[in-house]
Amino acid sequence: MPEDLNQKMSQFLDNELDHADALLLLQKMQSQPELQDKMNRYEAVSHALKTDVFLAVRSDFSAKIHQHIRQEAFHLLPQRKSYKRTYKLMALAASVAIVTVIVDRSLEPPFNAASTLQVANTQLPEPYPLNKRINDYLQAHNNSVYTNGEADFQPLGRVTAYSDK
Amino acid sequence: MTVVNYFFLVLFASIGLASAGEPELDARQVVVKMNHAMEVLNYQGTVAFLRNGKLEPMKYVHAAENGIEQERLTSLNSPLREIIRGAGQVSCLFKETQQTLVDHRPFERSFLVDVPKKLDDIDATYQLERVGEENVAMLPSYVIAIRPKDNARYPRKIWIEKQRFLPLKAVVYDNSGVPLEQMVFTEIEVKDALPFVDVQRLDADYPARHIHQAQPQSSDQAAFVASELPKGFKEIFFTRKPMHDAGQPVDHLVLSDGFTLVSIYMENKTAAMPSGLQSIGAVNSYSRTLDNYQLTVMGVAPAETVKLIAEGIKLRDARE
Repeated sequence: MPEDLNQKMSQFLDNELDHADALLLLQKMQSQPELQDKMNRYEAVSHALKTDVFLAVRSDFSAKIHQHIRQEAFHLLPQRKSYKRTYKLMALAASVAIVTVIVDRSLEPPFNAASTLQVANTQLPEPYPLNKRINDYLQAHNNSVYTNGEADFQPLGRVTAYSDK
Repeated sequence: MTVVNYFFLVLFASIGLASAGEPELDARQVVVKMNHAMEVLNYQGTVAFLRNGKLEPMKYVHAAENGIEQERLTSLNSPLREIIRGAGQVSCLFKETQQTLVDHRPFERSFLVDVPKKLDDIDATYQLERVGEENVAMLPSYVIAIRPKDNARYPRKIWIEKQRFLPLKAVVYDNSGVPLEQMVFTEIEVKDALPFVDVQRLDADYPARHIHQAQPQSSDQAAFVASELPKGFKEIFFTRKPMHDAGQPVDHLVLSDGFTLVSIYMENKTAAMPSGLQSIGAVNSYSRTLDNYQLTVMGVAPAETVKLIAEGIKLRDARE
């Protein structure tokens, strides 16, 4: 059995494994870290054999990158008010539809496109209230909002409208 | 001794006397003169603000008479607007919508650079140094470096014109020396007098909306206490005022170390408030929850500084 797996890994690296077996192999690798390590070693050997260059990559390289990204500060630029909200929603709907079609075509039966769309719809965040709150804070903080151009200044117009209610 | 020798002797003596009559000004003296010049002179020109990678050129006018000052900025690019500061109030007239926005900001003095009036207050936190002379807008200027004595605040430089002592350029750098914000004049002229704009008439002519109209209050009324502040930061302004569309009251405390402004906001917690560090251009902000409140600290200051201030905030009742 391990030999069979090794062979499949070798075939996978040589791009000789069929689609279904490749998916199964990737699923196994996801649940078994030792298989991932083995694949990394196979890949390194394969790379060294095929080229004159060998770059050693630590087994936890991708995990560390992932960890760094998670720890990275959350950067939020003030929202640009150059498109109407309805256009944004239409663009979002179109994007979701395109993603659905691509997913449907690339991944066969195990995936249910309808359920993906449903999940996507329920997980959509609503950034506007947060941006507005931050813009309110920025506006009250210092006068740079008056000397900033377009993107930073436009939300102030909304603040004006709200304070009138 | 020949006549020629006498001539050179007299010449060198004159040069020596002339230079002795104009002692070299140190950084502190130059900055004091700048503070005074900014208040009493009438001057106008074109100034460019560079923030968040965006360049905003504007016409600038400063009028002064009998201790009363007025600053005016007119945008050259859309959205077209005229901004007038006077007596702790900023009025902004939108040319396209003909609306006026009136903002009450008693804790700031200038759109160009805000330098503390008492320089003794910043001795513990900043070091002023004259680091050279350069031309800005074709005018010879002193270059004054404002170096923080720790990493809790950013370094700055101000280019001050040598004859009239007006600030021609100011840059805020991050702690690795990368410019974060800039203000620079491309041309400037000093006049004997410049007209004031009647802000009351503007208010009457165009529909004015007042924001942040609350008067300064004692920070003893704040629901929180900032217990751990980096050296030199002091409370300079507090108000509890309605913000956002729901009109929810927000506590707003402004801290300053002389150059760096930091705002602390506290309001009731709602669902859509994430915690953690955020960056908006040069402004860093740090948010966290404190019981049923959401707390946000922001300023053009290092992320570690806003985080440190936020982490040190306690509820007033909990502290007692």
